Amino acid sequence: MGSALYAYGVLEQEDVEFETDGIDGAERAYTVDYRTLSALVSEIDTVEPGMSDENARAHSEVLKQLLRYDGGRTVVPMQYGMAFKNERTLKRVLRESRPAFRRALREVEGKVELGLKVLSEADATGDGDAVRAAVDERFGELAVGVSEDDRFSDRLLVNRSFLVDRDDRDAFDDAVGEFEDDHGELTVQYTGPWAPYHFVDIDIGARRA
Amino acid sequence: MILVDDLFARPFLSILDAVRTLAVEELYDVERIRDDLKENRLLYELGERSEDRYRERKWELEMELDAAERAREQLRSKSIEVRG
Repeated sequence: MGSALYAYGVLEQEDVEFETDGIDGAERAYTVDYRTLSALVSEIDTVEPGMSDENARAHSEVLKQLLRYDGGRTVVPMQYGMAFKNERTLKRVLRESRPAFRRALREVEGKVELGLKVLSEADATGDGDAVRAAVDERFGELAVGVSEDDRFSDRLLVNRSFLVDRDDRDAFDDAVGEFEDDHGELTVQYTGPWAPYHFVDIDIGARRA
Repeated sequence: MILVDDLFARPFLSILDAVRTLAVEELYDVERIRDDLKENRLLYELGERSEDRYRERKWELEMELDAAERAREQLRSKSIEVRG
């Protein structure tokens, strides 16, 4: 592969390397260190990777591999498309954004993001307020953070991301099962664990080329 | 005479311009198309839409989005003509 580096996310400094199905067909992900931080990267041929379904999926899947790596790692995800000309430019960004990354890593330490979408049946009008209240009641205490995401479809009554301690993951799974049992008329999409995309917000404005 | 015509015509042209602008913005509603793309993906993931239908609809919406973004760009630069 090429000499550019595609960065998926940042973790506490650690040597990590695994085979993967990465961006633009990359077959390996590994860490590049800057002091107490490591960025998980793959080597690719361009600093402007295309925005395809395959690449978007690869970005998420590599981060999921890291979340599961050797018992689980905490990661601050990069937004899609962060590619750097070489290690030097990547390290410069890590240096400039180090305080923000460290703060974000502390905030999401030991936590994962879980997604919950609840849809009404096709051509049915669900009581969105009642469903959202039921979601608040069932999941509110199991999460340490909640993000109200865009309801981009008329059928979408709930679209939320939850930040959950790894230790509470099983309880959250059970709560989703109970919610589905109680609301058989609704369609539930439960996804994750994801890197905490909705709970970190680091603006990387540095030049990457 | 030409001057008087212009003065009379101007308010009506302004209103017409505004109506046409609104029509173009509704016709080329980029956010609505992006929402439709997300809904298409979600229905596919939930198994409510076949892969063939998902891909077909995705292609249609991407074409629509491309056209809408270009139209809005042209509208911003005042180079688009909307025929009434």
